[in-house]
Amino acid sequence: MVKLIKMIGLPLLALAVIGSFSAIALAAEQEHATLIREESLYVSAGANAQKTAQADRGSALTILERSQAGGQPWMKISMAADQQAQVSKEATGWIPGKTVITASTANGDEVVFGQAVDSERQAEERGGRKGAAEDALRLYARVPELFPGSPLAAEAMWRAADIRWQLAKADFVRSGKPLDDKYLREVVAKFPQSKQAELAAYDLLDNQMCPEWRGMAECPIKESALYEQYAHQHPQSPKAAEALYNAAWRQAALTDIYRINNDREKSEAARKKATALAQEVQGQQPDVDWKARATDLIYKLENKIPIYGAGVVEAGETK
Amino acid sequence: MKLRTGALLLAISFFCLVTPAQQKEQGTIIDEVQMYVSPDANAQKLARATRGRDVPLVMERTKIGDQSWAHVLIIVDVDRERETNRQITGWVPSKVVISTATPNADQIIFGEAVDSENQAEQRGGRKHAAEDAMRLYYRIYDYWPNSPLAGEALWRAADVRWQLEKADVRLRPSSREMNPDLRNPIDDEPMKLVMKKYPHTKWSDLAAYDLIDNKLCGSWKGETHCPEKESELYEKYAREHPQSPKAAEALFNAAWRQAALVQMYGAQHDKERDKARRKALELAQEAATKSSAGDPKLADWKPRAMELMYSLQQGIPTYDAGTDRK
Repeated sequence: MVKLIKMIGLPLLALAVIGSFSAIALAAEQEHATLIREESLYVSAGANAQKTAQADRGSALTILERSQAGGQPWMKISMAADQQAQVSKEATGWIPGKTVITASTANGDEVVFGQAVDSERQAEERGGRKGAAEDALRLYARVPELFPGSPLAAEAMWRAADIRWQLAKADFVRSGKPLDDKYLREVVAKFPQSKQAELAAYDLLDNQMCPEWRGMAECPIKESALYEQYAHQHPQSPKAAEALYNAAWRQAALTDIYRINNDREKSEAARKKATALAQEVQGQQPDVDWKARATDLIYKLENKIPIYGAGVVEAGETK
Repeated sequence: MKLRTGALLLAISFFCLVTPAQQKEQGTIIDEVQMYVSPDANAQKLARATRGRDVPLVMERTKIGDQSWAHVLIIVDVDRERETNRQITGWVPSKVVISTATPNADQIIFGEAVDSENQAEQRGGRKHAAEDAMRLYYRIYDYWPNSPLAGEALWRAADVRWQLEKADVRLRPSSREMNPDLRNPIDDEPMKLVMKKYPHTKWSDLAAYDLIDNKLCGSWKGETHCPEKESELYEKYAREHPQSPKAAEALFNAAWRQAALVQMYGAQHDKERDKARRKALELAQEAATKSSAGDPKLADWKPRAMELMYSLQQGIPTYDAGTDRK
């Protein structure tokens, strides 16, 4: 029996090994790339050929073949399906080579990152290019994929995840669709202890916030604790001051919520906690804005100026 | 009797003369409040005063029960174009008045201004929060000119006003006029005040950068003289303000306009096109070196400049003539 297996199995095993090596070699040979301008896909190399589809900035491409047409380089590419780019299935075609950036393009990481910054700016401008935020997201995402050793890789991965998060947040307000934190978690996992991991961890707090407080104490208590925990776990984070201030502000709001409910003892405890947290912002942060906002908050707490008053609740605002 | 009245008048006049303007209690308010004819929440209401309103005089303070009240003169409405204002005297809760007698007043007002600016940037933020921020910032310069925050506060006040007016100007049909002289300019007085009061500072550099807006064409309409002139303006700025936080951006903007000229000149004007291409590459290279990797606000200009250089080298269009998008 063992002999039989040996007899039949060995050639099969050899074939399997050869097959897997070929697959590995093919994968290694396949050159990945992206686009820094939107381009049409043509059925053959040359601008006079029939157009078949559109490839957006930042599309994930695999180069299948290279050619020259009209004195210009052309590339046959396969474009992966991408929900964000509204590409439902894989497409293949020819595109002009000059807008294609590969891992071997000199300064390719900076070129792709630069176009991503440009697209992000377009997205922020009134009347900016349609789909510019999605372009930026894809372009940033390509940087760590194509240039994993680039000094821009962590920042690009974080920015891609953040844009995705912000778009999902806006969608959540409209449709209530839950936020997918996979991409932010990837930043934390791939670049632990980095500034980008700290920023990703801050974004992740959004998922634990209450959509509305409805004048109840539970939500600000929980949120204040989350922000405080973040600030103390990430003291070097660019968001540490903001987190501490947010924790202080929620305690200040609790002062008012308890006061409205005639719970003086808890109101006073929240006031003390808010003051201590705001003082921590004042003492630790060189940032002018957060320091001044903390001073303003302390003044309001000392003088019992409502932060979260009856008027606010009546107006329907919750935070 | 006459002598006694005369002496009293003389004494009041003397008191007014010897009381320097600085000793007058002045300031602003950090919350929207109701003004009353007397120190009582049930008294007749006079007006609603919003954050940052000018309180040129706190006349007296009193305590009724638990509540402290301030009798103030508030300028509640200012029409800048007609240079008119409405002064109202009334009583407001003392705690919202931040005056020259309040410890850390500059910090408190600055904090409230930052908060208002933040509100203005938020979707669904407080209505007129930008105007609140603008007034609050200005008050710091107005009443605490020696504060370390005064220069930045005056710049921020001027910038908020500039951005509000810029948005307003953009809505007018004249905003698309090629010639900037054919549209109403944004009022540059607040920016000029920043430059006059805080020369050779970061704030003065930033104010000078905003002023370029008034000289830019509303649209290019495919004419080369607009990007030519604009590129010159940005380059001149970068040369005159090499330490400015906007120097790299100005160089990039100058380079980008030269890159647009490469496309506009096309094959028919190859001499001009090549000159623009060389100039664009030089300026982009300079922008890349000015960009600082250590400063997150400046770090982005290097990759943007690198992308522009790559596009120029590969002949990739950088200017969308169809939309005239800059």
